[in-house]
Amino acid sequence: MSMLWLLLLPAVAFAETVATDEKVVGVFYYAPMFGHVHQHAVRTSPSLTTIQCSHPVKVVESSKVSAVPEWAYVQVADHRGFVLREFLMDKRPECFQGKYPKFFDAFNLDLSDLYYWGRLGDQYIQGETRVK
Amino acid sequence: MKWILLAIILSAQAWAQTEKLQEEKELEVVDFTSIKKVLQQDGLDEAAKKKETEVKILKRVQGKVEAQRYLYPTEPELYGFVSEYWLVKNAQLLSWDFQKPDYGLEGNFGATMEGLGFYQKRYKILLVNTPSLVRTALPGNGEVILLLSVPFIRSLDLSKLEISLLLLEDFVRLEQGYFKKAVATEKLSKLAGASFQGAKPDVGLVEELLRNYSRQITERGYSFQQQFEVTKKMDAYLKSNPELWNAYYRLLVKIDRFVKSNAQYKDYVKLYPSPEMQLKWLGPDEKVH
Repeated sequence: MSMLWLLLLPAVAFAETVATDEKVVGVFYYAPMFGHVHQHAVRTSPSLTTIQCSHPVKVVESSKVSAVPEWAYVQVADHRGFVLREFLMDKRPECFQGKYPKFFDAFNLDLSDLYYWGRLGDQYIQGETRVK
Repeated sequence: MKWILLAIILSAQAWAQTEKLQEEKELEVVDFTSIKKVLQQDGLDEAAKKKETEVKILKRVQGKVEAQRYLYPTEPELYGFVSEYWLVKNAQLLSWDFQKPDYGLEGNFGATMEGLGFYQKRYKILLVNTPSLVRTALPGNGEVILLLSVPFIRSLDLSKLEISLLLLEDFVRLEQGYFKKAVATEKLSKLAGASFQGAKPDVGLVEELLRNYSRQITERGYSFQQQFEVTKKMDAYLKSNPELWNAYYRLLVKIDRFVKSNAQYKDYVKLYPSPEMQLKWLGPDEKVH
């Protein structure tokens, strides 16, 4: 019986590596005021959930998911999707709504506002000219 | 016998006067003045003072953090917030949430700017899918938000370079400060960066700005004088690069012909007067009439 376990052990271990062939690369923070976790690595892709500035985002590496380098595969609560890497920071960013909470709360933004504000960041073509 | 008793009472009183009561002793222990020297020797006095200073600093910091929560944003922060809020509130009208064609603007516009000596400039370009808003530039917080209509680009069949020059003209117009001058309110200069502690923030400040944004972008536009100055600035920037100057001139010719022949864009010349005049101003020593 004990010999049988010895034979089965590598098979069990292999099965585990296949199932958990993904790892959390790190926890990052969302930088723009609002944004979306996208279903696909495309700017116009449907939103899985809306997140706001400073929201912690787990970046996941998985052999089952491949995306172009500018997109990160992330987990936010129960959702797994894609966020543009340029929007992620390794330290908590200074957010407008965090810096001016009482002013910001006074606007009572509705769901439609949050949705569009999130889409806005994805729709910009952003750049900065270099230092001379 | 009487004398003996009196002597005993007197001696007891005298003893009581010399020996201190327990309460008195305890009071002495509590009285720091009596142990001041000991405390000083042990450095405890200094530690207590240090602690007191730390508490004062912490309370001051806490007070500042609390006060910060009741501040209006600064003017650049307010402009950044209002510009994006205006885009959000007009999302359906402007129709900017769509799959955009790739005009290669990401590298081209930045390169054109750098080529002309505009360094360390942050910009955001937002292409809109409507002919009702052709172009505009909004102030951001330390950046410029440039809006341009895709139907307009398609109708004129604009090249990458022509799009960049159009965006550059809007950038120059915004840098001239005309937009801010047109939308600024009294409330903005009074409240930006101020505190509203003990009251509710005046949201009217933002509502008023939003209305002024709409009026400026869709109705009021720019004056001949402002357009003249922008054109002359563009002339000066592009003169050192004949290829760019010629491209800018040809672009204005294109726009002039197009808006004159297309009823859908009849309002363009009211907002940006006027491509025809701009072409004249690009000629030698032209002044605004």
